[in-house]
Amino acid sequence: MRRTITRAGVALLASAWLVAAAQSPAVDPKQADLATAQAAQQLSQPLNNQPVWKEVRSGAQQYTSLPGRETSVLIQPEGQTWRAVRNGQASVYGGWLLVVVVLSIAAYYWRRGSIPLSEPPTGRKVRRFTTGERVIHWATAIAFVALAVSGLVILFGKNVLLPLIGYTLFSWLALLAKNLHNFVGPVFVVCTILMFLAFVRDNVWQQGDAEWIRKGGGLLKGEHVPSHRFNFGEKSWFWFGVVFLGIVVGVSGLVLDFPNFEQTRATMQIANIVHLVAAIVFIGLSLGHIYMGTVGVDGALESMRSGYVDETWAKEHHEYWYNDIKAGKIPAGDEAEPPMRHRPA
Amino acid sequence: MARMKFLCDAERCIECNGCVTACKQEHDIPWGVNRRRVVTINDGVPGERSISVACMHCSDAPCMAVCPVDCFYKTEEGVVLHDKDLCIGCGYCFYACPFGAPQFPQTGAFGVRGKMDKCTFCAGGPEANNSEEEFRKYGRNRLAEGKLPACAEMCSTKALLGGDGDVLADIYRQRVTVRGRGGDVWGWATAYGQPGQAPAQAPAKGGKS
Repeated sequence: MRRTITRAGVALLASAWLVAAAQSPAVDPKQADLATAQAAQQLSQPLNNQPVWKEVRSGAQQYTSLPGRETSVLIQPEGQTWRAVRNGQASVYGGWLLVVVVLSIAAYYWRRGSIPLSEPPTGRKVRRFTTGERVIHWATAIAFVALAVSGLVILFGKNVLLPLIGYTLFSWLALLAKNLHNFVGPVFVVCTILMFLAFVRDNVWQQGDAEWIRKGGGLLKGEHVPSHRFNFGEKSWFWFGVVFLGIVVGVSGLVLDFPNFEQTRATMQIANIVHLVAAIVFIGLSLGHIYMGTVGVDGALESMRSGYVDETWAKEHHEYWYNDIKAGKIPAGDEAEPPMRHRPA
Repeated sequence: MARMKFLCDAERCIECNGCVTACKQEHDIPWGVNRRRVVTINDGVPGERSISVACMHCSDAPCMAVCPVDCFYKTEEGVVLHDKDLCIGCGYCFYACPFGAPQFPQTGAFGVRGKMDKCTFCAGGPEANNSEEEFRKYGRNRLAEGKLPACAEMCSTKALLGGDGDVLADIYRQRVTVRGRGGDVWGWATAYGQPGQAPAQAPAKGGKS
């Protein structure tokens, strides 16, 4: 009985496979239909080539004796959509978004200024970043800034810089930007992977994150919400910025950077729009990160420059992390003593 | 001022690729680049049609709109040309063009493409007319010599026409009149022919078509 069932099952699977195979012809079914329609048309209405003309704008592969990718496509109409989106919504909204971000940060700085320590520094240093972490961070940061600046030159330079510096100079600048972008891009992808590996451990959900969200990070009232090594704002930047946008920008960028894999124009048009939109959001968020890491928070830049922060800073900004260090839960680090030049001023 | 146009009469094109060869020869075009190509729709099916296609010198050219260094310009005759000294080889014109006109000598890793090359309507580039430099970058400037594009001039069946758009329109209109039927795009035969019947008007026997 069991064998009969097994046999029946095999027979059913085999027949299902045959049906499926019969339904997936090697020829594009739509094109086969048009060819059949054309043959029928010649019998019923000789000289009427309506089915031929229906295919002119289809973007389908036709026949040409010339070798090359997509040479057999007569008209590829999607390029018009790409042009409209790139020159239209993407660059107009994208450009204004960046302007708004810059203005909001400037307004925030004007209202709040740099956030100082409320208590005097103790002079005792706590290690915040290892040398490896700092190398990875700065390599990624330099690559990111190079890519952001060169990308903005390629997207907005025609409207912003070209009228100022003229055709020849701008062409040189754009050529430099293009090559910088294309060669630094893959470096950034590698840096992003290293960044993920280096920082993922301390960017998981921890107790205290919920409170941080509830209080909006204390950004508006100016209070300090206790957090672990990274607060929820930093974690959001890590997951949405470094990881998600990093993957989107990286994958779409590689599709465009290596056109030698027979990818079609349609693929590159989509990749370009995805790359452009994600990159603008990425740049906008990075401005926030750069602000907080430099002028926004007193001592933040020093932590990534030297790897050390003052105990007061650690206690004020990352209290849970500081408590863990004091309790000996987090190892003190590979560098026993901070370098002398990083003594508090 | 004349507005330059290409027109390919698909009723006449025999897919000989003479236009492609004429273009390559005239401008000394390197391997791998074909400024013009012939595409056959429904190849091998009765009623198949071939069309020779190159840069169409659009009024609102997408390549021109997306070029990040603004290297394209339009002559008074409506020919879309570009400056290879400014071109950075980004490939955006190639993404935007519906006709696949912009070509690159390379398609390498890290987006290395070289300077874009495309049909110039035999009108050269920004350099002095018929100078050595202009020929090296863009090929011959036949328009400056008072000649029309080599592809159209060489076309054995006069399917491919190139020149003043008004003149081309008159030639094509005359052809349609003599044939007694329109470019089937307009559905003339669809409107007047009936299944199982001869077409409303057969092509004129021995007539000039």
